[in-house]
Amino acid sequence: MNHAEPRPWNPYLAGALSGLLIIASVVLADKYLGASTTFVRSAGMIEQLFAPDKVAKMAYFLKEKAIVDWQWMFVLGIFIGSLISALTSKSFRLQTVPDSWQERFGPALGKRWATAFVGGVVAMFGARLADG
Amino acid sequence: MKMLIYGLITGVLFGFLLQRARVIRYDKQLAALRLKDMTIVKFMLSAVMVAMVGVYLLVDLGVVKLAIKTLSLGAVVIGGLVFGVGWALLGYCPGTSLGALGEGRLDALAGIVGMLAGAALYAEAYPALQKTVLTWGNYGKITLPQLLGVNHWVVIAVFVVGGVGFLRWLEKKGL
Repeated sequence: MNHAEPRPWNPYLAGALSGLLIIASVVLADKYLGASTTFVRSAGMIEQLFAPDKVAKMAYFLKEKAIVDWQWMFVLGIFIGSLISALTSKSFRLQTVPDSWQERFGPALGKRWATAFVGGVVAMFGARLADG
Repeated sequence: MKMLIYGLITGVLFGFLLQRARVIRYDKQLAALRLKDMTIVKFMLSAVMVAMVGVYLLVDLGVVKLAIKTLSLGAVVIGGLVFGVGWALLGYCPGTSLGALGEGRLDALAGIVGMLAGAALYAEAYPALQKTVLTWGNYGKITLPQLLGVNHWVVIAVFVVGGVGFLRWLEKKGL
């Protein structure tokens, strides 16, 4: 690779700081970190645009309502935080196919994106089944 | 409104840490699943150990309370296996997919759309699952110390000693 990127932070340090962040979140907001419920709420919001009556009656959307809550903002924050970090450390790189995928399977966009889509469907179904 | 701001700030800090440690990349996530580079395991285990000690300390002091989830063996075992297959194909987890997009990895978009579809699919399947898989091996809201009938600090001590030993072994192996 010909792009110089600064060295990553020590994973033990960054992990321990994340642990402290979890503690702070539990103390200040009574919230443990999670992400997958946000995909349920967002799917509900999108479906609501087309079939509001159906969404209003579905058991899972009654359990996990189609609203923006603490976790929804947390997930949005991950995007913003990563963007800020990448832009301020010369490590932002627009890329359509990951390096190691390209080495193994070539640069074709369709193959990678189709696999990512299918993987996303399967991963989220499993994550919700196991409850996050 | 205050809760939404807390959520956003927590997310920004977490996303920053994830990006700086380089743990949100497809290459890193796949390398961990292939047992070739354990950076992600080091990050996660460190976070879990610190949070475990801190949160339980504050629980004992009566400052915070745990949010215990229902243990359904059927749901956790099957859900975990299904998640693993999807994770290996996608190369991002639900939270890190947004972080990956933040550092410019556009293939995460396909994964995010897929995960939205997966969530919608699960919502359709939920009534049927509620009567089947979710009832299999259902122990209710229970913790490991409760299940073993020991003080929680025994479990924490074993976990931390085992975790540190495991991490030292990884370093020795150069992973």
